[in-house]
Amino acid sequence: MDAETRCYAELEARVADRLAATAADWSEAEFSALAREVFAFQRPHNAPYARYCESTGVGLEIGDWREIPAMPQAAFKLCALRAGFDAAGTARTFRTSGTTGEGFGQHHFKTLRLYEAAILGGWRHFSLPIDRPQLLLAPHPDDAPHSSLAHMLGTLARVAPAGEQHWCVSADGKLEVEWVLALAGRYREAGRPVLLLGTALAFLHLCEALEKRGTPVTFPTGTEAMETGGYKGSGRTLTKRELYARFERWLGLPAEAIFNEYGMTELSSQWYARGLAQPHAGPPWTRALVIDPETGREAAAGAVGVLRLFDLANLGSVLALGTQDLAEAHGDGTFTLLGRDPQALPRGCSRAADELLAATAATSPT
Amino acid sequence: MNTDARIEVLARMTPAFAPWLGEVTVENLRELLQAELGDARALDDFQPRGPRHFSKAVAPRTILHIVSGNTPHAGLQSLFRGLLLGSHNWVKLPTGGLPEIAAFRDALPAELAARVELAETLPEEWLGRAEAVIVFGADATIEEFRRRTQAGQIFVAHGHRVSFGVVCDADAEAARAAARDASLFDQRGCQSPHLFYVQGGAARVLGWAAALAREMEIFNQTQPRAKLAPADAARIYTLREEWRFRATGAAGEAAVWTSAGSTDWTVIGDVRDSAFVASPADRVVFVKPLPEPLAALPAALGPARRHLGAVGFWPATVAHGRELAALDLPAARLCPIGRMQTPPLTWHQDGLPPLGALVRWVDLETL
Repeated sequence: MDAETRCYAELEARVADRLAATAADWSEAEFSALAREVFAFQRPHNAPYARYCESTGVGLEIGDWREIPAMPQAAFKLCALRAGFDAAGTARTFRTSGTTGEGFGQHHFKTLRLYEAAILGGWRHFSLPIDRPQLLLAPHPDDAPHSSLAHMLGTLARVAPAGEQHWCVSADGKLEVEWVLALAGRYREAGRPVLLLGTALAFLHLCEALEKRGTPVTFPTGTEAMETGGYKGSGRTLTKRELYARFERWLGLPAEAIFNEYGMTELSSQWYARGLAQPHAGPPWTRALVIDPETGREAAAGAVGVLRLFDLANLGSVLALGTQDLAEAHGDGTFTLLGRDPQALPRGCSRAADELLAATAATSPT
Repeated sequence: MNTDARIEVLARMTPAFAPWLGEVTVENLRELLQAELGDARALDDFQPRGPRHFSKAVAPRTILHIVSGNTPHAGLQSLFRGLLLGSHNWVKLPTGGLPEIAAFRDALPAELAARVELAETLPEEWLGRAEAVIVFGADATIEEFRRRTQAGQIFVAHGHRVSFGVVCDADAEAARAAARDASLFDQRGCQSPHLFYVQGGAARVLGWAAALAREMEIFNQTQPRAKLAPADAARIYTLREEWRFRATGAAGEAAVWTSAGSTDWTVIGDVRDSAFVASPADRVVFVKPLPEPLAALPAALGPARRHLGAVGFWPATVAHGRELAALDLPAARLCPIGRMQTPPLTWHQDGLPPLGALVRWVDLETL
């Protein structure tokens, strides 16, 4: 084992140990110290990140986790970001959906140990209902090997009671509505609440299928749902309020029984928000800052800015990520997610050019 | 009110709207009518057209202007032309309105003001009753209205466009003129340059980009950009961060210049290729090397080639303009850099005659 690999393995073991700790065991100082340590490892071992850090003028020595340069999310589309391992040492690569017209991003992993520990640790931290029958409105991980979401759901499914993880999307991506209804009936009769997991789009398709039939489905009392993602590539837009109204109308689930998962291929941990009013919060090994796009500094509470995320479980790439999502800051580490372009502003004729060119690029032979 | 009377009124009250309408005088309005209709009185009476042949231009009694976007230019110019023709004008404004158009209507004398109605929600009867429908907007908007217009209605569409400039003498004056074009109206118009192609090697291209950045700052000090909504500022912030990262992997081949402590302006120089890049607007401009030979420029434009608005050029010589025109780019306008934002009143927007496309003709023949 070379020094780099040993260093990675030691740090991975220490981070994994901390991911198993309860929130009470985490202090701000401890987070900052571990963040500095991860940064000190990643910067020299991740060449593109090192160059980016140099360009920001931030040296190896930093005083606080907030000073860690956040890698722009687009970098994952532009180069391979590996800290402490090379292509040959890559155990797994997840890909982004590539809906923005410039190809897909890739997140390489030396191991999935921290990735999976962060998923399960996050659910444990937020006391989410993991150990119950699961209806997964997503392709099985075997059918989507490059999808980080599919892997996340697969990781959660492993914790469900044996034989009670039910994948409800076929290999060709078709939502098996009859199967969902049959399972709802089975568990309703047994009086056992279930957990529904899927993308917002999958839930929307389920609601629309039920609407077409004109009959809502009734899930057992206590059933909860986790929805994630947007409507990428579908051409659909729906506010969270509109989506949750459909949950209530067609699935019989009130907003309080639904929680949104906010994660991304480029990271390892996730942020959660229950119902309509609650902001997103992350587990103790994460931090979120809302950045004022005008000044590049942290936005004041109540202001809207660009979300910057810190994730200690993201050991093999970069722990600090500059996302392209907008959020409202709350000043306590939580945020209200607004998405990419929540205002859908009226645009001048030049303003729509990027969309126009992206659309043309997709169809033009030139 | 005949044409001369309308010309007098419009020429008198438009100086306040010069930023959007350009210089308007009695003389150049007459010249516009002369150029478009062959005679400045063609709307009032039959004019000789040939032996025992007279013609009269008939303007649409009603014009519906579907105005979109954040800039008042297109809407104001369209309304102005409708008034010049003597039509009754219905203007469908974008949600949130365009205060400049309302101010223009309010500044008109009562007789002309009565020929202007504004609404943010389109009354269905306007669409049904309009003799001419002019639509500014995205392809989907245009197609929607094309579908809803009837046979016999004049339909004029102005889709989204992108513009760029070609700099062959990369001097300070060119940078100053380019900064003006990329800054005016916060780069939100169809004639706003997204990118400048600069002739020369990498050092020259990036050197001129630095000069452009200095001029963007100077322009911004006297004419600051409008405050942006967070989503728009975030687009610029994200783009800057992405290009800062790109630049780190291409030492000496890409660079980013930005206003300090704000998103007021951004210049991105990239000499790795000449592929056209669209800007998110709001004073974000790219600088790339002009393809060599020049004949390679159309290919470098890629999909943008099909959506060109204006091509600016420097030096501002006829010869240079002709050289670019010879490329047969589907741009409707070639103009000096520094003038991209101020097309003359007589310009053919999207290649169409601004008045000629709206009128029909009645011929009177005698023995």
